Formats: sequence, C-alpha cells, structure tokens
Amino acid sequence: MQMSDTRVIKAPREVVWAAILNPEVLKACVPGCTELTGTPEKGFEATVVQKVGPVKATFKGTVSLSNMTEPEAVTLSGEGKGGAAGFAKGGADVRFAEVEGGTELTYEVDAKVGGKLAQLGSRIIDGFAKKMADQFFTNLQDAVEGPSEADEAPVAEGDAGEEGKKKGWFKRMVSG
Amino acid sequence: MTKVTMTVNGKAVSKEVRGNMLMTEFLRDELHLTGTHVGCDTSQCGACNIHVNGETVKGCTIFAAECDGAEVGTIEGQANADGSLNVIQQAFQDHHGLQCGFCTPGMVMSAATLLKENPKPTEAEIRHYLEGNICRCTGYHNIVKAIMAASGQDVSTIAAE
Amino acid sequence: MPKDHGIGAAQKRREDVRFLTGAGKYTDDINVYGQTYCHFLRSDVAHGKITSIDTSAAEAMPGVVRIFTGKDFEGIGGLPCGWQVTDKNGDPMKEPPHPVLAQGKVRHVGDPICAVIAETLDQARDAAEAIELEIEELPAVVDMRAALESGSALVHDELTDNLCYDWQFGSDQAAVDKAFADAAHVTTLELVNNRLVANPMEPRVAVAEYARANDESTLYTTSQNPHVIRLLMGAFVLGIPEHKLRVVAPDVGGGFGTKIFHYAEEAFVTFAARQINRPVKWTSTRSEAFMSDAHGRDHVTKIELALDAENNFIGLRTDTLANMGAYLSTFSSSVPTWLHGTLMAGNYKTPAIQVNVKAVFTNTVPVDAYRGAGRPEATFQLERLVDKAARELGVDPIKLRRQNFIESFPYATPVAVEYDTGDYVATMDKLEEMIDVPGFAARRAESEAKGKLRGLGVNCYIEACGIAPSNLVGQLGARAGLYDAATVRVNATGSISVMVGAHSHGQGHETAFPQVVADMLGIDESMIDIVHGDTSKIPFGMGTYGSRSLAVCGSAMVRATEKIINKAKKIAAHLMEASEGDIELKDGMFTVAGTDKSVAWGDVTLAAYVPHNYPLTEIEPGLEETAFYDPANFTYPAGAYACEVEVDPDTGKVTIERFAAADDFGNVVNPMIVEGQVHGGIAQGIGQALLESCIYDADGQLLSASYMDYAMPRAGDVPFYMVDHSCATPCTHNPLGVKGCGEAGAIGSPPAVVNAVLDALNHAGHDVAHIDMPVSPHRVWKAMQG
Repeated sequence: MQMSDTRVIKAPREVVWAAILNPEVLKACVPGCTELTGTPEKGFEATVVQKVGPVKATFKGTVSLSNMTEPEAVTLSGEGKGGAAGFAKGGADVRFAEVEGGTELTYEVDAKVGGKLAQLGSRIIDGFAKKMADQFFTNLQDAVEGPSEADEAPVAEGDAGEEGKKKGWFKRMVSG
Repeated sequence: MTKVTMTVNGKAVSKEVRGNMLMTEFLRDELHLTGTHVGCDTSQCGACNIHVNGETVKGCTIFAAECDGAEVGTIEGQANADGSLNVIQQAFQDHHGLQCGFCTPGMVMSAATLLKENPKPTEAEIRHYLEGNICRCTGYHNIVKAIMAASGQDVSTIAAE
Repeated sequence: MPKDHGIGAAQKRREDVRFLTGAGKYTDDINVYGQTYCHFLRSDVAHGKITSIDTSAAEAMPGVVRIFTGKDFEGIGGLPCGWQVTDKNGDPMKEPPHPVLAQGKVRHVGDPICAVIAETLDQARDAAEAIELEIEELPAVVDMRAALESGSALVHDELTDNLCYDWQFGSDQAAVDKAFADAAHVTTLELVNNRLVANPMEPRVAVAEYARANDESTLYTTSQNPHVIRLLMGAFVLGIPEHKLRVVAPDVGGGFGTKIFHYAEEAFVTFAARQINRPVKWTSTRSEAFMSDAHGRDHVTKIELALDAENNFIGLRTDTLANMGAYLSTFSSSVPTWLHGTLMAGNYKTPAIQVNVKAVFTNTVPVDAYRGAGRPEATFQLERLVDKAARELGVDPIKLRRQNFIESFPYATPVAVEYDTGDYVATMDKLEEMIDVPGFAARRAESEAKGKLRGLGVNCYIEACGIAPSNLVGQLGARAGLYDAATVRVNATGSISVMVGAHSHGQGHETAFPQVVADMLGIDESMIDIVHGDTSKIPFGMGTYGSRSLAVCGSAMVRATEKIINKAKKIAAHLMEASEGDIELKDGMFTVAGTDKSVAWGDVTLAAYVPHNYPLTEIEPGLEETAFYDPANFTYPAGAYACEVEVDPDTGKVTIERFAAADDFGNVVNPMIVEGQVHGGIAQGIGQALLESCIYDADGQLLSASYMDYAMPRAGDVPFYMVDHSCATPCTHNPLGVKGCGEAGAIGSPPAVVNAVLDALNHAGHDVAHIDMPVSPHRVWKAMQG
C-alpha cells in the first residue's frame, strides 16, 4: 500500500530535522514503540507492540535512516518481525521545505506485511498503515511544536509508554 | 491451573485446566469427546458448535473456565436415551444431510437450537440460521431439507421440476 | 416402486450413524501413548535465501524434544511427482526437487523450514518462535506472464527459466490453420480460471509411530489413497519397504482432490518418529491449510472457435498458462495436460482442435487436482466460448449447441479420447424441461417488476473419469498404474468383508458397495461390510479421485465377487452331487437347474471352511478372492446444466434463483448418494463462479488465508438444486455400466452461472462479453458501468 500526505509543523526546518534524527523522538513517535536504541548513522533497534485486526504481536526489528540530505530529505525505513504473526515493513520518504510559519513535511509512505498478518489482516492493512503514518507524524508534530489545539490526536494502542511526556517537549529541550 | 466443574451431556465433570484452555480442547483432549470438531481457527466454520446452557456456542471461542458451572451439551449426548438417533439426527440420515461427517456435529447442534427457537422455520430462515456453519460436501440442499423434515414439514416437493 | 435393496436402491447410509453421534474416528481423534507434538516453522516470505538458522535457544525451551531443519534431510529424497509430461519438443518436463524441509531456499509463503517436536503443542509453538532464522528476501515470481519473461527471477536457480513444460496436443497444425482460414466467423475469448482452495472441512493431520522392535512404521493420515502414500513415501522419500510401513486413512473429513497428494508433513512425522523413537502428531490449523494444501485451477487462457457459414464448429484452438506453484505436487503436471486437453472437444463434433499449455513455476503454493481437475477448466472455457459465439451470431445458445452435438457413438475426438456412449440431446431435452425454458420470459418479467435483472445460462459438459487404462496412461507419462483392487472375504457363516482399494471420505462406499455385492449374491446388505483405508488390511488400491471409485474399484469388486460365485458353485455342485454347469444362484440359494434341489448360501460358505464333505482334491478350502481391475477406457459422464440468476443493478449482487442439472452417469447404484454428490459439486461450482478466489499480492503474500477472506459458499448463497440422472447411457466397458458422479457438479456449474449473469446484463442492454470469476458484485457493477 502506498500513500502520501503533507503537513506543516510550526518550527524551523533545522529543529524538525534534528527531531527526526533523535532516538528519543523516534521512540516517542513510532506508534507502539517500547524500546529504541542506536544512532542515525548505524540505525536503530526497535521493539514495537501493535495489533492489526485479530493479530497482536511484539515486533522486533530495525529502523534505519537513509538518503539523508540535511535538512531537506530523509528516508525512514522500518522492518519488524513478529514471530508467528509474520512481519511488517514500511518506509517513508520525507521532504522538509521551509514555508511561512514553519516547515512543510511531505511524505510518501509504503507499507507491507507478510505471513499471518497478510493472511488474516490484508483487508484492513491499508487503513492500519494510514493510521500508523498519521500517528507518527502527529506525534512528531506534537513533540516539536507542542499542543496547539484542544482536540488531541487519537492515541494509538501501544502508546502507553509515552504518557507523561508533554507535547512540545522536544522543542523545549532543544531550545533550552 | 483452574478447577472447573460442569455438567457435560448430563454427567458432572470436574477437572483442573489451564486458564487458556478452549472448550474444544477440554472436550476433545480432557474428556475424549472427539465428536466436537475443529475446522478453522477464526471462529467461522461451526464444526465445533456445542450447547452451553441451552445456547449454541462455538467451542473454539469459549474457554473451559468460562463454562464453570454450566450445562454443556455435545453431539455425543444428542441421541435418544436408548441410543437411537433423535429426530434431527434421524432426519439427517433419512435425507442424506451429511457426507464426510466432519461439519455434521456442529450442524446438528445448530439445528437443535434453531428448532427450539423456531419450531417450523422456513427455508430462508434455516439458511440464514446456518450462516455460521460451513459444509463443503452437501451443497446444503439436504441439510436444509433435513431440518425442514425434522420440524415436521413436507419436503417431498422440494426442488421438484 | 423404487427398489429398497441392491443396485438402484436409495439406501440410507450406514456410516451416518457414527457421524451423527460423534463416533466417527478422524485422524485428529487418534492419540498414541507417549506422543509428541509437531509444529512447523514456515516461511513468511514468498521467495528467499536462508542465510542462517540457529535453533540453540529454541532447543533449550521447556518440553522441546528435538528440532529438525533441512540439514536433517540432506541426501533424503524429495517429494516425487507422479506424472511426467513431455514437452512439445520431446523433452521431459523440468522437475526440480521438492524437499521435505527447505534446503537453502524458501519458495512460497508456507514452505516448511524447521519442525519443532515437543511434549505439548504449545511448547512446540513457543519454541518455534525462539528459532533465530535469517532469510534474505528475493524478488517473488507471482504473475505467470511475468514469470515467463526473460530476466524474471527464477523460482528454481538450477533451471534456466520458470517454464516447466510447453505442451502441445491435438489435430495437425495444418488442419487447424485451415479451419480458421476457412471460417465464416471466429469467436475469441480470454479468461482466467480462478485459483481455488479445496477446503475440505477437516484440515490435514498426520500421526506417526514407530515400533523399533520390528522396525515398523505406522502413519495415520488424512488421505484419499493410503496405498499411494505408502508407495510414494516408502519408495521415493524415506526408503521404507512396504512391509515395514503401514498407512491408515481412517474417517477422512472430505478431500476434493487435495488429500490425494503426498505431503511433506506426513513424510516428516514418519521420519521423525523413527528418529526420536516416539510417536509424533501434527494437526494442521486452517490458516496452515491455506498455505500448505495444494491449491486448484489457476489457468489463464485464450481460446478461439472457428465456425462455418452455417454455424457449424470447424476448428478450436486454445492456449493456456497453468500455474504449478513453487513445486510439482503429486499429480500437478497431469491436470492441465491429459486431464484438460483431452476434454476440449466437449460435447461437440469439432473436427480440428489444438491445445497448447505452458506450465509455469511461481512462488506460490503448489497447484494440483481439485474436484474436476482440468475438466472444469476445459468445460468453462469451451462453454463460455460457445455462449459468446451464440451472442455474436445472434443465435440461440441452446440451438447452437444442439446443432453441433456429437450424436453417434463411439466417437473418436481429435484430442485422443473415444467417447463410448452418451446422449447429449436427451440430457438437453431433460434440462430444458427441468428449468422450464418456456416459463423463463414470465419469470424474467417478474424479476424486472422488482427492479432486478434476470438471466438464464445453459451449458453442457463432458468429463473423462476413472482414468485408464494403465498401459495407455503409462505411455502418456503416468508413473503409476491406474487399476484398482478388491478382496471379497466370505466368512464361514456367510457374512462378508470386502476390502477395497478405494477410500470413502463422504462418498458413502460403506453403503453403496455392499449394495452391489448383495445384488450379485442375492443376500442381505447387512451381511456385508466394506473395509477401506488401511494398507495392512487391503491388498492394494489406488484410492479415490477422478470419480473412479465405483467404475474402477467397484469393477474389481464385481470381478472378485464373480470369482467367489464360481467357486461357490463348484462347492454347491459337490454338495448337491450335480454338475457345476447346472448350478444357479438366486436370492442366496444355489439350485440345480430343472430340479428342486437347493443349498443355501450359508451352507456353501460353511462347507468352504469346514470342508468335511468337500472336493478337496479339486479346489482349496476357504472362500476368499481378490481381483485387480484395469479399465479398458475412461468413462464419459456428460450432461447439461442450467442456472437462473437475478442481478441487482444497483449493487451488482448476483443471486442464484434456480439451478438444474441433467446428468448421464450411466447406471446408478444408490441414487440418493449420487444426487448428494451432484449437490455438493454444484455448490463448489457456484462457489468458484461467484465467491471463491485465492489471492496473492505482488510480493507473493497470500492474502486470502482464512474464512474471513476466502469466501466459502454458505447455506444462504445457494438454492435447492433440481437434479436428474434419468438419461442414462450405461458405460460399455465396465461390468456395472457406471460412469462416476463425484466431479460432475463442479465441472458443469461454473459456466452456467457466468452465462446466466451475462445473459441478464446483455438483455438489459449492457454490452458485456465476459466477466472473470468470481463474478463478484464489484466486477458485475463495474461491467455494468461499461
């Protein structure tokens, strides 16, 4: 499945760029991520708990960053194995453009599932992937710019580890 | 492990079971009542249908622990007291409502609750009620016919030209 | 009065009592003392190189007995293919190895890689999760056309391409070319015969035990042909001689072809039980069944019909791509060739026919015989094509068929087979009466008044059943004989056990076969039992498939019973001091012609076992005879089917309103069972036409692997069916005159359904030439939008 979208984050491009390279931010933004270690250069090891239709599984895998053109573009790729549940992999080509009032993120997402996830969950995988991508970028937006509106984004399952973090925390962190 | 006590086909049973043990496993592995069959793993096929407190339940979708204290009926308990086939079973044999026999226990259990709820179901009502019972052999023709016959309806003109 | 016993009686089935009371004994109901449980770790990618397998952590898990990988099978034979097809160039088909556990590469989602044996199933599953497996994913070959393009990834690295064979068959090229050059009209159709999953309700199960003391293995398995499994597994895979290997197929919960084949799992448990010296049990889940049971159909075809100015069929040619999947399953290669090409004449006297089939390897589950096996594919393309021709020519589709019917028999087709008997006019007459063609206009008007479109679709079919004879099929590439065997064991008191090589998994042999023997001997059916499904009890047998049981195994049983009668007459002659030639057997009594002397069946059988007064110098005591029967020809069941549908123009949903089948099965032993077989076949055909489809994505992921996604026909999807088998032309070459009825429904019904939908749409002004199966609401709606 493939999809694309854009959104504007109210922060300078360098801040958004730095955020997406930060393991703490990635961990907070990948829906259901319970563990994430590593570096942008060598890649990250991640553990993600997710439920797709009738299949709930812990995915262990990698997140890597490639095609890095600072601060304009990056490709995020993730691949996780869920044991008997099968596997999921996905990627996003993200471009950062300076626009009035912040940074416009344009992203093209590609997601694939295999094994039991495909066998039992293919009907719902498009919707699931879209939800995951929306969630990721909403989380990123929240982390960078802080809450702007009262209506909060829906919380994805597996997000429980991140309660306690306040929106805008990354921006506050980098702006000292 | 949890201790469960229930009545199965009129007999009291009591066993220690794992919390995640399904009724299909409990009946087949613990009680050796292998008439309840497992035909799928997504609660679709109905080969494992049993009665729990008078309702048809898919045995693959309920834990043994959930049946603690329940009255459970399986295909092994459906025949008459003298061992002869009950009205529904007899109608299935009379009208060739089974071939390989694998879905049959679930069909008979579903038919029993249908006729309890609706003693003279129409063809359409029977077909609708059997939505959760898959048969690959009979094309359903003789199953529907058998259930109509078991409810006392005249089936001699079905599909007559 | 309908008969109440013997041949022709609609006897109630004796096996039903155990099935209706939960007393059936299926393979999963078998548990052996001390058994272990097996779980297979299967590939979740379609194509990949196994770079490492580390089982050390898994081996340390609780309850794990042993973990096997492909390494354990190095040097052990792979699963054999039972039919060698010869390419049009004269080369043998490509036959890459089919390992029991993957060797270095995985080639479809579901390909078994490791097998974990543990004390409980949960422990085996948990340990499988702990196996560290690295697979380097390779590009998957999924689409057959793309698979044949140069530069495509290779399913088997040792081959130069993904083509298994390119097979050509039929009339001379020149004759076919001339027919098309001379044609007044040519109708062309391109279509897909959708990939299906057989889905018997009982998933496959295998339980193996090993007796080290006498080096004997026993395998309980869900098979349609236990002797074939014993032969293939013993001789070709594990090297166990037959006398040390017992294969038992107890009650089997449906087969439909998919339980013919020899599978990796049953070979594995037999092997493993010997290795660990403990029983091993494997039970497939339904999810596993979808990715490990051989699939069916999956053909892409272009077919052309040449007609002269009077609408006579003068030439036919067809080109098919047939999906083999990743490996050659047991009879896969024969399905699109000898079981498909030979039926392309259908019921018509087309003089020039050419068939081309390219079989293609892809990264999908192997494809093999499924109810009908090649014949539904032949029937569908031909009968859709004839319907399309009728529409193009503006002629009545029934009239066009009738005009081209074969009417004199025997009839040798241009595609190698000779139809011995048939009466296609009679079955079409009967069908028109059953479906009430004159009343259709009024029924259509009624539907239209409700805002629905109504269509009537008709088609004919012919099939070749009871595949034979062995010397011919051997020339065509079969690596097995296709006879069958039966032993009639008459006990001292006159009761009889008949050991038959055919296996019953829904077909009612336990009821129908005794009807034949009872009829021949004039004794009551209750004195006769059928024994099947156990290689230790039955002399031999090729099993049940291709609608062969009664035509082939039943004939063997007749021959064995004839031997019994001959011997019993000798004994009776001795007892009555008469000449053997004067002895008659009627109603269980032996009489001397023209006298009032008689001895009862039981007196003769007792004399055979208590031979005090017995011609010991001339014949042996005892009364047991075996016969092997190798048919002289196929049998040719045929018929005509009709379907009436309503189409909802707003949603495209099709409902089947009426369905009629007029079949010629030759003689019929138990009409109730025969009709049940037709009902079931029709439902599977309706399933193929409207609902079922096995879907892979471009990466070879199987997307339809549960009953949530694979649409099995349910009670509400089908109507009552009108069936008739009164237009019988008995088979000329088997002793019962029977033809076989198991597959007809699945062969004859898909074109009727699709023809009906197209009739509905075209009548309503939608110019739609074809819709591929399954004819889903979405496809119908799209077709209606133009």
